Amino acid sequence: MTLAGCGSKTGSTETGSSINVFIWTEYVSDAAIEAFEEESGIKVNVSTYSSNEDLMAKLKSETEGTYDVILPSDYAVEYLISQDKLMELDKDKLTNLSNISSAYLDPSYDPGNVYSVPYEGGVACIAVNTSKVDMEITSYDDLFNPSLEGQIVVLDDYRAVIGMTERSMGLSMNESDADKLAEVEEKLLTLKDNIKLYDSDSPKSALISGDCSVGMIWSAEVALSMEENPDIEIVYPKEGAYVFMDNWAIPTGSTHYDEAMEFINFMLSAEAAQMNVSDFPYLCPNEAGLELMGEEYVANTAKNVPSEVIENGEFISNLDTDTMAIYDEMWTKLKE
Amino acid sequence: MKRKRRIKRNKILGVGFCALVYLFLFLPISVIVANSFNATTTKPYMSWKGFTLDWYVKLWENTSLLEAFGTTMIIAVVSTLLATVIGTLGAIGMYKYKFKGKGLIDGLLYIPVVIPEIVLGISLLTIFSKAGIPRGMITLILAHVTFCIPFVIFNVRARLAGYDISIEEASMDLGANRLTTFFEITLPVLMPGIMGGALLAFTLSIDDVIISYFVNGQTKTYPLKIMESVKSGVAPDVNALSTLILIGTILFVVLTQGDLFKKSSKESGKEETKYEKKKHGKKVFVGNAFSNTVYDARRMWFEDWQYGNR
Amino acid sequence: MDKKQIKPALVTIGPVTVIMVLLIALPLIYVAVMSFCSIDEYYNVTFDFTLENYMRLFNADYLKIYAQSLGIAFITTVLCILIGYPFSYIIARTKSRRKKVLYMLVIIPFWTNSLIRIYGWRTFLGNSGWLNGILTALGIVSEPVDFLYKSGTTIVGMVYCLIPFMILPLYTAIEKLDDSLLEASQDLGAKPVNTFFEVILPLTMSGIFSGSLMVFIPCLGYFFVSDILGGGNTDMIGNLIERQFQSGNNWPLGAALSIILIIVTLLLVKVYQKMGGDMDALGV
Repeated sequence: MTLAGCGSKTGSTETGSSINVFIWTEYVSDAAIEAFEEESGIKVNVSTYSSNEDLMAKLKSETEGTYDVILPSDYAVEYLISQDKLMELDKDKLTNLSNISSAYLDPSYDPGNVYSVPYEGGVACIAVNTSKVDMEITSYDDLFNPSLEGQIVVLDDYRAVIGMTERSMGLSMNESDADKLAEVEEKLLTLKDNIKLYDSDSPKSALISGDCSVGMIWSAEVALSMEENPDIEIVYPKEGAYVFMDNWAIPTGSTHYDEAMEFINFMLSAEAAQMNVSDFPYLCPNEAGLELMGEEYVANTAKNVPSEVIENGEFISNLDTDTMAIYDEMWTKLKE
Repeated sequence: MKRKRRIKRNKILGVGFCALVYLFLFLPISVIVANSFNATTTKPYMSWKGFTLDWYVKLWENTSLLEAFGTTMIIAVVSTLLATVIGTLGAIGMYKYKFKGKGLIDGLLYIPVVIPEIVLGISLLTIFSKAGIPRGMITLILAHVTFCIPFVIFNVRARLAGYDISIEEASMDLGANRLTTFFEITLPVLMPGIMGGALLAFTLSIDDVIISYFVNGQTKTYPLKIMESVKSGVAPDVNALSTLILIGTILFVVLTQGDLFKKSSKESGKEETKYEKKKHGKKVFVGNAFSNTVYDARRMWFEDWQYGNR
Repeated sequence: MDKKQIKPALVTIGPVTVIMVLLIALPLIYVAVMSFCSIDEYYNVTFDFTLENYMRLFNADYLKIYAQSLGIAFITTVLCILIGYPFSYIIARTKSRRKKVLYMLVIIPFWTNSLIRIYGWRTFLGNSGWLNGILTALGIVSEPVDFLYKSGTTIVGMVYCLIPFMILPLYTAIEKLDDSLLEASQDLGAKPVNTFFEVILPLTMSGIFSGSLMVFIPCLGYFFVSDILGGGNTDMIGNLIERQFQSGNNWPLGAALSIILIIVTLLLVKVYQKMGGDMDALGV
């Protein structure tokens, strides 16, 4: 069955080699992957994860060479570099890197883009179903309002939910002071009754189906839910949002470095960016791809996140293990 | 009169209650079957958009789903074969020979049956990770063989309980060697138990989610593929495949159990003489074995285990 | 052991011993060892002895989750008995030739993948799901009712997944009941209620016990049911373990949680064994 499957696809190309790609759920277009398979004759095996922590845990527990391409976010790139888990990218092979806007190159988490190149990014923002919610929501802080009891879907991601609480208190999302974190915990637990669902994979589903009327979710998920249900609006929290940028990288031990590079370079092409952004309308650092998307897309503030939102926002960074233990404890309490 | 009316009323209540329970049991199944004909094309594929057979066509284009199904079948067949051979030999050995550490092995056999699957899953994950064995087909098969073996052993052991070891000695006295004795005497007697154990191992293997979830690496089994699609909304082609599998199993049961429906369960089984067994042929014992599904059999092992400890 | 027997003994017992020792005993010992290990700043396991994992797990919050898990498992078990007992009784006492068919009908739904069946419940109970559709169409409710993502929904899912484990042992126990005993009880003038409590129930207690154990224990570990139907709001011990081995990235803590779960399981099995012993004394 397996052989028949790839035999027909590889067609004329020589070896029929394959790469293992480990990416976020609901994030990379199937069409783009198929286009790559067609063009290169390389078969792509896709596995997915729902959080950077899942990715890091898998990279740690699996033997090296299990994955050839990964898609970690900013702080995960930083962590993986510190662990010597990433291979340097051969820039000569990344001919499409020039498509990426210089504003998103040379980031603080990987100076000089030695190990990673940006894919898409976005913010964790707020979705409101205006037909069901009376109150005006403008900030993360508004989500703590008791009138929203049992109505919210949040990301099943502790850095996002705890970080949002910290932002609502005027703190950094990377706060490590134990006393302040005790206050954060107190406030966080008041959110418990408001949360109906934790879902990182497809939080838009609950909004579209009407199971939840407010969401603290990724920007593109809001954009997609707005297409299905016109009552849904996007709100960029005034405290400044949780900003992320996801990046292509190759984990150490990959046995298909050249094929992996070919894949990444393909994903940096304008056509691939167009396919990806059409399916998953996140912030697109690929200028050539944006041009193909046209005016309408660029003008859509839910899809093409305004630059001031990004500037106001905050990236997550890695925490030491003691602080992590506090975060983990808070999260456990919230979810019990 | 009054009593009769009361009995009648009770009977109606009883039938009504059972109907409700069956409704409860079959409700999600009917949702799955109905949704496989749903014309919706947008995630999360929940609202009804009209009748279509498209998904049964599209299913054959979903190579990754079919591949995952193929993988599950390969793993199930290989681990069933291995677990059946190893388990049958083990059950016979433990029945025939006394040795040091027998109690320990016996105790270890109960672990996969008793402890929650997640514990077995993470413990295999940690040991594979420590030993540097890459997760994939091999680790999946190892894990499945491990949790299937006890189920085979308990099934065979139940059969051994009524087994008179002296016929083996008689056979050897008559000049048959050990292998001949095994294939001619021991194996036929144990066959129903072995078949029951094997079918059970197969059932457990194809439906396993929790243990596979921790040891799969890049390899996707059908249940894991479903787990992934559950996250973003199960597409109706998955429902279509599930419906086909369901129809397949029901057909299999009806074909193999056909004549069993006519008999009460007490008649079949141990009381049958060898001659009768031959007469009924394979059909009966495959049918019997099949009704020994996971639930049935698990109960057996719990009882077995309970007696073992007395 | 006879010398001649050594070879056949090795051939038969050898493979199963190797697998049980290498893939059951060794991993569990390793998990036990790991539960006393620390992690370094990059979350790698280091073999420095510590009791910290257990100390973390014995604070009030974790105890609350254990209590909640046990509570949900308990309610699930009780519901399974309440639904399963009368149901099995009626099925097992049916004189009809279709008895075997009725029995098979309990098993057939469970040949469909369990995850997709759980997902079927989600489709059925959702805000735009079938049940709400029916209720709104009949005019019983005007606004969709929230059924999903509550601890009650988790329990429905658990009962659904595990009820066959209750029905099948009960069925076997009830089928074994001797008609003449029941008739004797009636002839002696016992009311049906008394017959039930003094004859039927004690005779079928073994079925209730083994069913309860088979429902209760898996319930503690079925993390995907509370994930899919509970919306992540009702964590069970299984969810905590899963999280530490996946996103939480703290294996020693997850190992300690697993050890606690094993201990809880063994205690329950011991209790069951004790009760089984009592059953023996009652002459069952």
